[in-house]
Amino acid sequence: MKMFLALFLLLFSILPVLSGCWNQKELTDLAFVMALGVDKGKNHRFDVAFQIVNPGNVSAGQGQGGGGLPIAVYKSSGDTLTEAARNAALKVSRRLYYAHCNLLVIGEKLAKEGILDIFDALERDPGFRTTTEIVIARDSTAEELVTTLTILDKLPVSKVTKELQTSEDMLGETLKVNIDDFITSLVSKGKQPLITGYSVIGDKKIADNSQNLQITTTKAFLSANGIGLFRKGKLIGWINGYKARGAVWVLNKVSGTDVNIDWNGKKNAINVTPLRSRTKVSAKIKNGKPMINVVIKEESIISEINTNADISNPNEIAKIEKKVGKVIKSQVIEVIKEAQNKKCDIFGFGEKVHLANPKLWKRIQNNWDEQFSETKVFVTVKPYQRRSGVRRNPFWNELKQ
Amino acid sequence: MSILSKLFKKKNKSKQNDNYRQQQDPDAPKNLPILRDYHENISRLKEELGNSTDVAFREFNLKQYKGVAVYIDGLANSNMISDFFMDALLKNQEELQSDSFQNLVDKVTSLGNLRIINNWGQVYESLLSGNTLFFVEGHTKAINVETKGWDKRAISEPTTQLSIRGPKDSFIESIRTNTALIRRRIKSPNLWLETMKIGTVTQTDVAIMYVKGIVNDKVVTEVKERLNQINIDSVLESGYIEQLIEDQTWTSFPTIFHTERPDVVSSQLLEGRVAIFVDGTPFVITAPAVFIQFFQAPDDYYSRFDISTGIRLLRILSFFIALIAPALYISITTFHQEMVPTTMAIAIAAQRENVPFPAFVEALIMEVTFEILREAGLRLPRAVGQAVSIVGALVIGQAAVQAGFVSPVMVIVVSITAIANFSTPSFAMAISARLLRFIIMALATFLGFYGIMLGVMFMTIHLCSLRSFGIPYMSPIAPFNINQQQDVLIRFPIWAFKNRPPLISKGNIKRTGKGQKPGPPSQSDRKQDSDQGDQS
Repeated sequence: MKMFLALFLLLFSILPVLSGCWNQKELTDLAFVMALGVDKGKNHRFDVAFQIVNPGNVSAGQGQGGGGLPIAVYKSSGDTLTEAARNAALKVSRRLYYAHCNLLVIGEKLAKEGILDIFDALERDPGFRTTTEIVIARDSTAEELVTTLTILDKLPVSKVTKELQTSEDMLGETLKVNIDDFITSLVSKGKQPLITGYSVIGDKKIADNSQNLQITTTKAFLSANGIGLFRKGKLIGWINGYKARGAVWVLNKVSGTDVNIDWNGKKNAINVTPLRSRTKVSAKIKNGKPMINVVIKEESIISEINTNADISNPNEIAKIEKKVGKVIKSQVIEVIKEAQNKKCDIFGFGEKVHLANPKLWKRIQNNWDEQFSETKVFVTVKPYQRRSGVRRNPFWNELKQ
Repeated sequence: MSILSKLFKKKNKSKQNDNYRQQQDPDAPKNLPILRDYHENISRLKEELGNSTDVAFREFNLKQYKGVAVYIDGLANSNMISDFFMDALLKNQEELQSDSFQNLVDKVTSLGNLRIINNWGQVYESLLSGNTLFFVEGHTKAINVETKGWDKRAISEPTTQLSIRGPKDSFIESIRTNTALIRRRIKSPNLWLETMKIGTVTQTDVAIMYVKGIVNDKVVTEVKERLNQINIDSVLESGYIEQLIEDQTWTSFPTIFHTERPDVVSSQLLEGRVAIFVDGTPFVITAPAVFIQFFQAPDDYYSRFDISTGIRLLRILSFFIALIAPALYISITTFHQEMVPTTMAIAIAAQRENVPFPAFVEALIMEVTFEILREAGLRLPRAVGQAVSIVGALVIGQAAVQAGFVSPVMVIVVSITAIANFSTPSFAMAISARLLRFIIMALATFLGFYGIMLGVMFMTIHLCSLRSFGIPYMSPIAPFNINQQQDVLIRFPIWAFKNRPPLISKGNIKRTGKGQKPGPPSQSDRKQDSDQGDQS
């Protein structure tokens, strides 16, 4: 018995050696896909561009690095995403590895026709992360976007993902949307998804050329450009600039931005930058009809005063606050009107109605898009001026005296 | 493993038989008497010692006493022997009147430790441990005078277990000096010492020391029993004893502690452990040992508790680094590329781009190279030691990377592993991490993180199964005892060391009195003080 046990243990311990290293993959056999560009295909349904990192050229290692281009882009096509990915094996010497894929780019043409067909593949694949961010290639193809080289950040992908983060923190005109977010709002009847748009600005012909990296003012660069509105997985329009900012306000995603107000009859004389803000959206039912209340509490600092103003006077501060509130309110109302015109509830008001009155929601959910366009929305902004930087009254006051 | 152990058992048996045969030597001079004629005693000694040239015979003739003093040159202190003769000749000439043996013993010898020997068997025992024997004409007895006095190393700083703060003395090769070092620290009548001889040929002195009243008597009995069972020809170092009495041979973890520091042995004795001294080695072993003990450095108790706690946690962390760092590298680069930040994955990929070997082979090459370097550095004469470090640092470190055989990350991993390994205070524990590392590396190669988890789990299970003289090896972590955590991961302040480890010192576990927490004097005390000040 003991002998048998010993033999069994011995054989058992050999087992992993014989199994041939299940799932093992050496680093050098992998092609790290950093970004995936999906376009409407010419012959097949999808044209897919794989942006693959060239590790030796990215990391400043021992001498040999730095010479070539940081990325290589391979193209492939197929009627499904998986087919395209497998077809890519004809062109790529290494295994495509998606775990570090940080960006999914969807061409505008495809987005307009509907992008529902690409998401299950991404969600189902164990290697692909659903935290991958999505952008729409606005006015260009996804391929153009993933082939563009960038300065400062060697990897174009990290330029885009970092930029989405910083511009959300600093400006509030873009939104970070990942696959999870997109699918959650896609399946929700009370909310429609949004995706930030990205454009190649400038000379598209040299965007993918290393010449583009030799100039301080690159001739072609990537830039965030508006937020795309989706209904039923189809791109139905864009909101830009202040409207985009208004949408971000309502979605409670603003952490930093700036607001210009007029003062002393001078246009855009004072600029304040919100530090933190909190948006509360609630729904009320009146006469069987839903009503939405949007309350924005915002705290900001004065960052510029280009006229004379006595901000040591609390009453003056209160006036500034009031004006700031007005500006923010107008931005928010503008975007809500636009969304109501497009019958596209990007703010998730429907979900609030659902929470407030589930029974009513059951009745109206299938008709929510229509209902949304007629729903009354009340916007209240409660601004608060926290500080005025390292200076109190501006030099203008003394200048006038 | 059981097959192996079977093989070993067979071998052991045959060895034991050999020993047995040696013992049954028919010529063994066990119970022969000492002869009346001292000349015959001399010739017999010469014959049986093979005329060894270091055996000194000095015949004397003091009045009616004729005889010979026998000692081994180099083992016995020749000054003491000549003192004896000077004494006898000058001072006590008159007193040597009566003819009895006892008279000689009583009057003549001014030397200290003295014993009468009646049979031949004891002759060698005392002679070979450095004593001087006096054979007197006409008597079948011999006087055995303790004249041990050979050259020994001076007490010096410990070489293997260093500390920043703490006593700088360490044990030497002489058992008597070693026991005295402990006596000097624990001035208690309860510090008991028992001696025995082990080794059929070497007849090595082995001493058991413990504090009666603190020690668990069962452990003392067990230690004695195990020592008595030892039947081996030689004991040249305490490692022999350790391997012969430990609970479990099939483990890479030490279940008996060894140290060359008297302060460490003292503290272990006061916790109720038994120390075993072996003549001829500066390493004293103590038992029972528990796992956490190997991470407790003497400094821990000499510096303040917050600092020692931090450093101890660091040591335990570094034990795990030494154990799994290369395995982590292997699994990250071959299985779990998604687990590291993108930029780091790319950086590692860039470095590995031109490395010709798979990660496991790369790691194995570097680890083995380092182990070779370390071993060579240990064995090499001190004069060439520097050459090794240059070769190691330049050739292995830099050139291998430049040549593209290994990636720089691998060099970092090997270095951090090596340095982490050195931070374990006990060499015996560090070396087991060194060994297990390779097993875990192999597991990581086949199964990635899953393999590492398996390895660490099996290691933990194995650790929990170990015992040292009846004490669970992982106590007081497993079995967990909330009252014994003063000195495990967190070193409590000394005043909070209320009890000794109760598993080790059964019964008498009280250690610290009440109210030992220091602090400013209370209000009433202060008032009294100021009153006194006014009066004076």
